[in-house]
Amino acid sequence: MTLFTIDEVRKTFTNGEVKEEILKGINLSLKEGEIIALVGASGSGKSTLLTIAAGLQPASDGQVIFEDNNLTSMSSEEVRKVRASKFGFVFQFAHLVPFLTVEEQLLLMLDVSESKLKKSEQKNEVDRILKLVGMDHRKDSYPSSLSGGEKQRVAIARAIIHKPKVLFADEPTASLDSKKSKEVMLLIRDLTKTLNITTLMVTHDEEMLAYTDRIIKMSDGVILQDAL
Amino acid sequence: MNLAWKEIKKNKVRFLILGSIVFLVSFLTFIISGLANGLSQDNAALIKDLPQGQFYMNEDADQTYNLSKIDSSTQNEILSKEKDAVAFSLQMGFLNDKDNKQQSVAFVTSTESDLFEDVKHEEVVLDSSMKDKGIKVGDTLTNNQFSGKFVVKGFVDQKKYSHAPVAYINEEDYKEIYRVDEMQMIFLPDGDSSKEFAGLESFSNKEFLNTIPSYNAEQMSLNMIVWFLVVISGMLFAIFFYMMNVQKIGLYGILKAIGLKTSKIFQLIWTQMAIITVISLILSVTFSQAFNMVAPEGMPFTLTIATTTQLSIVFLIIGFIGATISGLQIRKIEPLQAIQQGEA
Repeated sequence: MTLFTIDEVRKTFTNGEVKEEILKGINLSLKEGEIIALVGASGSGKSTLLTIAAGLQPASDGQVIFEDNNLTSMSSEEVRKVRASKFGFVFQFAHLVPFLTVEEQLLLMLDVSESKLKKSEQKNEVDRILKLVGMDHRKDSYPSSLSGGEKQRVAIARAIIHKPKVLFADEPTASLDSKKSKEVMLLIRDLTKTLNITTLMVTHDEEMLAYTDRIIKMSDGVILQDAL
Repeated sequence: MNLAWKEIKKNKVRFLILGSIVFLVSFLTFIISGLANGLSQDNAALIKDLPQGQFYMNEDADQTYNLSKIDSSTQNEILSKEKDAVAFSLQMGFLNDKDNKQQSVAFVTSTESDLFEDVKHEEVVLDSSMKDKGIKVGDTLTNNQFSGKFVVKGFVDQKKYSHAPVAYINEEDYKEIYRVDEMQMIFLPDGDSSKEFAGLESFSNKEFLNTIPSYNAEQMSLNMIVWFLVVISGMLFAIFFYMMNVQKIGLYGILKAIGLKTSKIFQLIWTQMAIITVISLILSVTFSQAFNMVAPEGMPFTLTIATTTQLSIVFLIIGFIGATISGLQIRKIEPLQAIQQGEA
């Protein structure tokens, strides 16, 4: 079942009098539970496509349809609500809140997504997800005391605690060594498959492609190849 | 989730530094304000403690009470028409104590009124600061221009004029010392400027205070210092809140990316500002009031709760504006920009 449709999306940046078209009419459909990798050289437009799909920046033209709603015609507040409740984010760096413990990071996400769970249920859910990512023993730790891999695990837990429909991952393993990168990718794959979350991921690391269902190769703002 | 308090708890040193700046600046402002009020009281408590009303002096006196003379017929006419009105005079002078040492005082005399001390012939009522000079009730004091002797009948608290203690004396004794027959001024409690009397110029309490030589200049300088401090502290608050929040731009961007409302970020900034400012102000008020109690006797220092409350409200408003300015900067942050900046 199609969850996400990107229809003729274009993105143009203006630098002084020079106009540069980064995306040149992208068409793409994402199915529920799929893990899709966007690959391509730097400047190919993959990160721009991911951020437009995630509602983090507007498209210059075209439509992004999510669950029959056109994100491109929504107000910024409506897009924020979709981001908070239906999307999860994992970035190259974990970007955890430095003054919150691991448990509080996840409780904050439930708060942001306006979770209907009661306080005690929220705590149970946090415990459950932390167990899933293998971080339950560090729930009272602050980010400063975690390793890079542990931080990324917490970031993944934060991205899925509110049961999003789509997980956007921008180079989630770029700051990790090879061993930790594989662990993190395995975790993303297992979790998204278990929870039926669609994942759109940008990566440079070809080794990570083994964990994906579909690979989309981009070059100069167009899709070169869409392979299963 | 109370993000504001959690951040303060985790970053105690950073917030302690900011809080101590707010504390020091507000404490300094309270102390200067206390000194300004103290000097003001020291200069004109006699007038400032009178109720709101109208002062009248002779039109030809050029707004200088020393030169004012109200003729008896005008005085009698006003006093008979206005039952609360009082005619009074005041002049700087000297009293000699039992050791023949000169003590500078402000002699005050008046017609019968609850607003001034009722003193009989050859009696004097002094400001309580004269006790520090060793003068007691029953002591006999003299004046070089007065043929008789003054017996100290009592003391009154906080009655000063032109930085000198007030000495209330009888009308006849005053007239003998200064060789005058008329009173200088008339005061009409609750009167307003619409009440006019021929040949007399009227002044509100504030206007009259400004006619006192040195009062206006002294107060202007001190108030200038107080408000300059308020402005400086306002700028300091704004800069510190701005610097603190600018350091967190990346964090706020990520919070926005995951869907946190901008209003929640403003809430966080305002709550932190309120917590820091309120705690610092409570400490400043406590310390300045403690100083008020232990200030050396000779130091003119008056700090009322009303003044500290007024200044505290000003500081809170300034803090709020400072925090809001930095918040407006944060409002403009694009989540994408924060993500691309890397780890905060």
